[in-house]
Parts: sequence; structure tokens; C-alpha cells
Amino acid sequence: MSTNGNLTITLRDFSTSAERTGTTLTLKLVGNADMAAKDSLDALLPRLHQEALSLSAKEVVIDFRELEFMNSSCFKSFVTWISDVSELEADKQYKIRLLSKAEMHWQRRSLHALRCFAIDLITIET
Amino acid sequence: MTTIPTSFELTFRPNVELVSIVRHFVSDFYERMIDDADAVSRIALATHELLENAVKYSSDGATSLSINFEPNEPDSKVSIRLANRASAEHVAALTAIFDEMKNHTDPFALYQIVMARSAKRKVGSGLGLVRVCAEGEMTMSYSIEDDRVTILAQAIVATRRAS
Repeated sequence: MSTNGNLTITLRDFSTSAERTGTTLTLKLVGNADMAAKDSLDALLPRLHQEALSLSAKEVVIDFRELEFMNSSCFKSFVTWISDVSELEADKQYKIRLLSKAEMHWQRRSLHALRCFAIDLITIET
Repeated sequence: MTTIPTSFELTFRPNVELVSIVRHFVSDFYERMIDDADAVSRIALATHELLENAVKYSSDGATSLSINFEPNEPDSKVSIRLANRASAEHVAALTAIFDEMKNHTDPFALYQIVMARSAKRKVGSGLGLVRVCAEGEMTMSYSIEDDRVTILAQAIVATRRAS
């Protein structure tokens, strides 16, 4: 099932799309998340958070498997979002599952760092 | 793995698009020099982050990037050197970051501290150099001559023999 559409980014080298299945919201990232993607991602993640809250989502899945690279500015956008989730009251929090691809070597370290930042909220699936 | 030292140097005015182009080039080039895809990924990440730093902070837009690979047994050394001119304000900010890195023996622990701080920042991430150190597993140093800043990131990568 699609979401209300405001979770889509289409840039030349970076795009996102979202889907909802039951109480799970999935955001898929494709391409190269560099400085050109920063502003769009900064604006998108708060919308994802709001949508997860309004749907009373139990889980948000971020699919990094087709994301070739993410710079520190875009990484920071995720850090801020995760921080916002971790600061919610326990009954409003949702779990975060990160889908990664072993061949994308940067993902192992970056996603591990994100997981350690909120170890009770985040799981990584490769 | 190549047994011949390799190096290249680029002097240019990086922009958002060129940073990713150079990262691709570095990745493609070193994939053919080093049999360790993870090490290549670390080199590419460090190159990207250091170049983006230069895009943001170079006072005249110009940057010199050099990457040296020195194969040896049992370990090889990769050095990424980036030089650009910077304002006094940015030199002070860079000095503060390096002071903080020097005072923490565990790069990953510092990374987590800086991530927590970054979550509340409205401008910038403050993560780039710390990420190079923690995720890139690089030893970082810097030097300043007048307004010219040089950042050196070095990594030791295991030398693998071709089977």
C-alpha cells in the first residue's frame, strides 16, 4: 500500500519511495546521498516521523540496499531522526530496521554506528 | 595487489558533482590496485568527506588532493592529503575538532559523542572528520601554514597476495 506521497524524492542521483504494509512503513533509498540530497532528506525524515506517528507504526524500515553512498551530512539527518524517535515516550516509539547489502562496504560501518546510537530501537538486516 | 607504489594528485575547484565523480574514480582505480574491497571503500569514503570539507571551507574554492599507496609486506599504507586555503574561523574550528580527536583514544566512542551532539545541531553536522577517523579507520593529522590547511588521513591495509 502506498503512503500519502510526500515521502518521495526524485533527484538526478538520489531518490526515495515509501510503502506502508500494516503497521510497517518502509522507506527505500536509491543512488547517491551526497550534498545534493541533504536538503531533501532533511525535509523528508521529519515527514516520515510524523507519518509513522499518525499511523501508530510499530516499525519503520529503511532500505539502504540500493544506496551507493551516504555522506556525513545525510548521515546526520538520520542521526537527528533517530534521536527524535528515542526521545519519544516509550509507548509512542517505533522500532527501526535497517536493510543493508554486504557488497556496499560503507554500510557495515555506518549502519553499525547508527545502531550503537540507539541500540534498543534499531536492528540491521543484511 | 600491485607491488608498485601508486599516487596521483588533483588540483581543482571541487563542487558537489565533482566530489562524487572523484570518489567513483578513486574507488574504481584502487579496486584494481588493492584486493581488499573494504579498504577501497574506506579510502573512497575518506576522499569524499575530505573533499566535501574543502567545498564547504576552502576560502578560494581551490583544493589539492593527493592519494599515495605504498605497498609493503605485511601491510601497505594509504595516505590521503588534502590542502586548501581557509579563513581564520574555519582554521579555529578545524583545530578544535583535531584537539577533541587527540583527547579521545577510542575513535568510535568519540564518534558516538559527536553523533549525539550532531543530532541537535541546526547547521552542519560536525561529523565528517570524525567519521573518516572512526569508519575509515584512518589516522588523522593536520598542519597549517599561513592560511593554508593540509589534512592528512592515513590507513594501514593488509597486503594480500594474489592467489
